[in-house]
Amino acid sequence: MDVMEAGGMDWMQNEHMLGTSIMAVVYDGGVVLGADSRTTTGSYIANRVSDKISPITEKIFCCRSGSAADTQAISDYVRYYISMHSLEIGEEPKVATVGKMFRLICYRNKANLLAGIICAGYDKHDGGQVYNITLGGSILKQPFAISGSGSSYIYGFCDSNFKEGMGRDEAEQFVIRALALAMSRDGSSGGVIRTVTINESGVDRKYYSGKDIPGFYEGW
Amino acid sequence: MESMSERSGGFSFDNVARNHVLEEKGMKMPKAAKTGTTIVGVVYKDGVVLGADTRATSETTVFEKYCEKIHYIAPNIYCCGAGTAADTEHTTAMIASKLELHRLDTGRQSRVTTCLTMLKRHLFQYQGHVSAALVLGGVDLHGPHLYTVYPHGSTDALPFVTMGSGSLAAMAVFESKYKDDMTLEEGKQIVYEAISAGIYNDMGSGGNVNLCVITKDKTEMLKGYAKENMRPWRKSTPYTFPKTEVLTSKIDKPRTDISVVVESEKMEVSAS
Amino acid sequence: MMDFGTPVLEPGSANGTKQVPQFNPYQDNGGTVASIAGDDYVIVAADTRFTLGYSIPTRKISRVLKINDKVMLGTAGMQADTCALHKVISTRMRMYEHDNNKRMTFNAVSQMLSTVLYYKRFFPYYTFNIVAGLDDKGEGWVCGYDAIGSFEQRKIVCNGAGTKLMQPVFDNQVDWAQSWDGAGKPNLSLEQATDLMKDAFTSAAEREITVGDTLQIYKITKDGIQLEEFELKKD
Repeated sequence: MDVMEAGGMDWMQNEHMLGTSIMAVVYDGGVVLGADSRTTTGSYIANRVSDKISPITEKIFCCRSGSAADTQAISDYVRYYISMHSLEIGEEPKVATVGKMFRLICYRNKANLLAGIICAGYDKHDGGQVYNITLGGSILKQPFAISGSGSSYIYGFCDSNFKEGMGRDEAEQFVIRALALAMSRDGSSGGVIRTVTINESGVDRKYYSGKDIPGFYEGW
Repeated sequence: MESMSERSGGFSFDNVARNHVLEEKGMKMPKAAKTGTTIVGVVYKDGVVLGADTRATSETTVFEKYCEKIHYIAPNIYCCGAGTAADTEHTTAMIASKLELHRLDTGRQSRVTTCLTMLKRHLFQYQGHVSAALVLGGVDLHGPHLYTVYPHGSTDALPFVTMGSGSLAAMAVFESKYKDDMTLEEGKQIVYEAISAGIYNDMGSGGNVNLCVITKDKTEMLKGYAKENMRPWRKSTPYTFPKTEVLTSKIDKPRTDISVVVESEKMEVSAS
Repeated sequence: MMDFGTPVLEPGSANGTKQVPQFNPYQDNGGTVASIAGDDYVIVAADTRFTLGYSIPTRKISRVLKINDKVMLGTAGMQADTCALHKVISTRMRMYEHDNNKRMTFNAVSQMLSTVLYYKRFFPYYTFNIVAGLDDKGEGWVCGYDAIGSFEQRKIVCNGAGTKLMQPVFDNQVDWAQSWDGAGKPNLSLEQATDLMKDAFTSAAEREITVGDTLQIYKITKDGIQLEEFELKKD
């Protein structure tokens, strides 16, 4: 009998997954991105403080879900291509361009990739925007986007609590509350909540752990 | 074909199709030595401490009792390897070679992130088939760095990391005892305890504890930091073995009646 | 790992071509048992490491069953089956004693184990056994079994995880196997046999990861059974 099989050592060979809860929201003047911090291989938490919100340019970020290796590689490529593009046009790229670059890579290589990406940021032309790039390589421009395994638990919450034209604090609270709910129900999401808020004046990173994560009904 | 593949570098895939057919017909392919391993790393006040056990296994057999799993990358960067022994050794050696050339080119110390990017690109290219699970540690101009690299090419940056089959046992030690800004002694102690947890509680790990301390100014390999698992006992009386009995013997003497006569010939020395 | 809630049909699941992994009733809990028989003694040795995959749930488990003060049974393999088998053997042994008003002899025990194992020919006990004991004349013997009851009576047997490493050494040192006529074959004393056993297990623990922790050596002589415990490596 194979010892690896008998002892349930599958987590060693398995790919690193971001069994994730990620989201991004447009608010009045910018965007808020949010993510949990759990990376798993099988049932083992390989990293409990991961940063799933990766910078692409100064004011454009992406939330990654799916295979850690695939999404790291994709965002590395996009960061590289977009920096070249930015040099060519001589200004900061548009969020739409970055979103389409993600879409292109995800669509062309969809047979070999496992990646769900939310691309969000701020540009001077169109303000704050959120693009949701799905598994198959579709791109959806949305006022808010949720993705990852934990997102299915919070569709109802988001639909009933999202408002267009929210203020910054209101949008941040919306993200934190939604992610807290997703993390409490989804076993492969958890850890801390990381947020990135982007607007005309700059970028603000925050994280919430322990008691700072809002609690909801936990009677059962 | 042979010469072309030799010149172009990279892996040879010549026998992949053949082996696939053979495997489908029921042939068992040879198993590579997997280092069921405990490897760890921790960032302390002045640098990085890496640790590893010394056992290499294939299934349940110990291939090598005291092997070295902390590989050299650069004078200021070392890398612990778990997974398939050949993959970890060759991957780290290849990156070490490229960094050496890069240093000769630039005349500057190698950076840990350069090494990390090269490793993850290589591993991602092979989609997890190069099964090297690594703990990469080093100190460069930006200070101490510690990363894990997984076979599929994903990476994590953390203040304490573990890898290999003993990683859960080792992580239990870190999660309960790690604190920020430890001293050198505290750093060595926690790594020793983490590796020991792997050695004793994970059967894929065993043997001695090897450490590597990397600081801004120097790198120190502490081979055999703990040697708690040398052979504990040996039978005092010597072993005797059955002797093969000589049944008949016949000796053929070499012939002495042949002589070789060498006749010297005159050679033309100068061209006439 | 349905990360995005995208419905995916299992390839081939509809037409039944995909093999779904079934429940596996067997488990390998490691363990090695060995026995050396002499003219007036027999020793039974077993390590106490209980393994599951790469973990060690306990370092101290007994794999040996005392049948009576002349016969012992050692079992490697799956622990649950070992328990079940030992219970059946104990019960059958007690029934035999009441039916026949006498203790089971070495030969009776060895034959009974064979039938008990073969009874489960098509759902075997995942166990690898040795029965060691003194015969009517007081001479030591040992029987080695496969999982379904085939056995052979010899002077030296080992069974279980460390067999591949230890059996050749015993063949050479006890049976004098390389010698074609057995000339000069040593007659090991109890002390020599015990030392050889310790050395064999110590060496096996160096190279076989499922062997380790403690070695229990039961020495069966005309005076009864004596237990010696000997420490092995813990890594």
